[in-house]
Amino acid sequence: MSTVLSDGVIHVSDDCKACDHCTFICPTGAISGVLGQKHHINPQKCINCGQCLINCPFNAIYDLSKVEELKKVLADSQKFVVVQEAPAVRVALGEEFGQAPGTNVKNKMYAALRKLGFDRVYDTEFTADLTIMEEGTELIHRVYGALGVAGFENVGPLPQFTSCCPAWIKYAEDNYPLVLPHISSAKSPQQMWGAVAKTYLAEKLNVNPANIFSVSVMPCTAKKYECERSEFIASGYQDVDLVITTRELAQMIKDAEIDFMGLADEEADRFVGLSTGAATIFGATGGVMEAALRTAYEILSGESLGKVEFDAVRGLDPVREATVEVPVKALGTSLPVSVCIVTGTKHVAEVIEDVLAGRSNYHFIEVMNCPGGCINGGGQPIRRDTY
Amino acid sequence: MKLFHESEGITRRQFFKGAGMLTVAAVISGVFAKFGFDVFAASDDYIAKRVAGLYTLDESMAIRKSHENPEIIQIYKDFLSPGKVECVSPKAHHLLHTKYGNDIPGFIAELKNPHLVHEAEPAANEETSTEEPAA
Amino acid sequence: MSNVNGKVLKHGTQTRTMHWIHLLAFIILGLTGIGFYWDIGGIASIFGGEANASLVHRWAGVVFVVGPLLYVLLNFDRFSRFMDSISHFSKDDFAWLKVMGGYLPFIKVDEVPPQDKYNAGQKILGWLIIIGCLLIILTGFPMWLWRHSVPAVFLAFCYNVHFWTAIILILLVAGHFFLAAIHPKSRVEFSSMMLDGYIDAQISAHHNAKWFAELKESP
Ligand code: HEM
Ligand code: SF4
Ligand code: SF4
Ligand code: SF4
Repeated sequence: MSTVLSDGVIHVSDDCKACDHCTFICPTGAISGVLGQKHHINPQKCINCGQCLINCPFNAIYDLSKVEELKKVLADSQKFVVVQEAPAVRVALGEEFGQAPGTNVKNKMYAALRKLGFDRVYDTEFTADLTIMEEGTELIHRVYGALGVAGFENVGPLPQFTSCCPAWIKYAEDNYPLVLPHISSAKSPQQMWGAVAKTYLAEKLNVNPANIFSVSVMPCTAKKYECERSEFIASGYQDVDLVITTRELAQMIKDAEIDFMGLADEEADRFVGLSTGAATIFGATGGVMEAALRTAYEILSGESLGKVEFDAVRGLDPVREATVEVPVKALGTSLPVSVCIVTGTKHVAEVIEDVLAGRSNYHFIEVMNCPGGCINGGGQPIRRDTY
Repeated sequence: MKLFHESEGITRRQFFKGAGMLTVAAVISGVFAKFGFDVFAASDDYIAKRVAGLYTLDESMAIRKSHENPEIIQIYKDFLSPGKVECVSPKAHHLLHTKYGNDIPGFIAELKNPHLVHEAEPAANEETSTEEPAA
Repeated sequence: MSNVNGKVLKHGTQTRTMHWIHLLAFIILGLTGIGFYWDIGGIASIFGGEANASLVHRWAGVVFVVGPLLYVLLNFDRFSRFMDSISHFSKDDFAWLKVMGGYLPFIKVDEVPPQDKYNAGQKILGWLIIIGCLLIILTGFPMWLWRHSVPAVFLAFCYNVHFWTAIILILLVAGHFFLAAIHPKSRVEFSSMMLDGYIDAQISAHHNAKWFAELKESP
């Protein structure tokens, strides 16, 4: 087993000042230590989310890094190195180069990655769209199953939970095994991308998948753990070989002395690099839900949405709920789809308890570990704003 | 031996100096607290700004719905469900879906043994292909 | 006035008690605090390990606040006179500062300018201690009580201010100790604060001439 799986991604260094701030940040109680005592993370309980890391006042928490390995791979001409970047990266990477939070730098990011030596530059947003197709279809099947439509008897229970956040997945596996059947079987966009890169993309580009080295740039430390989980080998290889964070990418760009803001805009490569607005908002809490609603609504109703924004699912409150009336052409009726959005794993236990006790009448529940969604992930630039 | 001591009591001036110092201490505490609250309010502003950045980017995109992404349509037609757009097709199921918790060891065994994969492929869902969106 | 006999009550019982409490608390706080900062295991083990040393530090902090606070509330008049004295800088005080009270060997002085109950140096020390205590208290309590809820920047800010104030205070107090207990010119002051409260009238008449002039003789 890789060290990441056994020891976890997140560790406390000797610089710990024993301030005890992190024990409150941690959603799982994985951090032990009291005020005055150096703290320690229990890798069994830790879900690798990195929230403690970005919130440690003394930067005493670090994540295991594979940047050095990546630099070697990039220098190796035998390897065909491909890269995907999560939606949240593009609105935060610029902060490391003097831009305000929220500044979109995706086209400069593509350019910088090419300059760093990646052979092809794609985008996780492509598989975010793919996730919507698969996960959305799964949801429709589960709804049909619950309504007793023939042919959907064994499709899994409602409500369906999202599955994009590996921190949330580990939390559920560790603490609520009974809720696992409720979690969408769709892989996260990162892992879907890994699986199609070494199959579909290899076919399209006519490269030997064994030579493909698949990298992803994530706002997230838990993704480092996710990519090494032993079940992600559907392509016949480890689907995603290596994950770096937004911070690490920024550091690589600085190390390579690339004038990031001076780069000309570029686009992602074709086949698995095209994205939509629906995929872009995956990085924000409620974004997966909104993207799913856009697609589910149009497919179920057969009508085109006038206004694509679902304001009801937006916001930053840790637990939000909304009901959306969806006309279902196949059934000839209208279905009130009831959804819930949780951001911050701390707040999910209550929602799960309700589901397990049968008190929940939601259809679809989005869970993101990080408060605000992936844009505030454990791999994002660390901010210490005072005004 | 003579003993000397200070006169008791305070003058008006002394009273104001004493009370003044207490007031100054209170004011300093207040300023410090105000600073604390301001920092508190500012410290996670960046979350809303990054979220807003994504929504703005969404608005600027030509295509805003996943099922209208031409590359998505292409990957289904060319690869996942040849000739049509069918979600959760056998190949999609194999590449894009996973299992959790205690189901994982068995799942890995399936993945490593292609024969098992075919047997385990769910036969259902075939008649339920999603309608192909008008491209 | 060069020949007065007798004794002057310089610091009353409550003042001396408060000073002792504050000092002891300060020593414990300083020791444990320095232990935290430089990770000195030896200091932590004197107080029963890291976690306990931290508890001792925090509760000593409570004493450090409550002691003086009670004193000020119960002896508002004394406190007021003290504040009045240290906030009043006259020509004589500036003159005193110019010659550094005659403490420095390379500044030759014939006669040090006459001083109040506290000389100009002590007045400045008084202010620095008050401001230092305020800062260290205002940062220490959030570090303890609100460590979970304040943002990381603010916590780091508190730690920095807390630490540097502590260092400055420790140096000040060390200097204060040297002058008040060791330096031959002023160590006579020691007993007036640490023991019975009295000081030789002759000395007061000399060191604190302006104040001595206002004193009343006991019946
Ligand atoms: C007045 C009330 C005080 C309170 C409530 C207080 C509280 C604290 C707390 C909670 C810590 C966190 C360290 C830990 O437990 O690991 C700390 C650290 C410390 N304190 Fe205090 N303290 C006070 C006064 C003082 C004083 C008077 C001094 C020095 C003379 C002092 C010196 C220190 C030092 C040096 C540290 C370590 C700072 C660092 O690691 O950067 N404290 N204090
Ligand atoms: S927040 Fe950082 S410094 Fe404070 S206890 Fe946790 S790891 Fe240590
Ligand atoms: S990474 Fe997340 S789960 Fe792990 S210790 Fe830090 S806050 Fe807790
Ligand atoms: S919310 Fe996003 S960034 Fe945070 S742990 Fe989950 S996937 Fe990673």
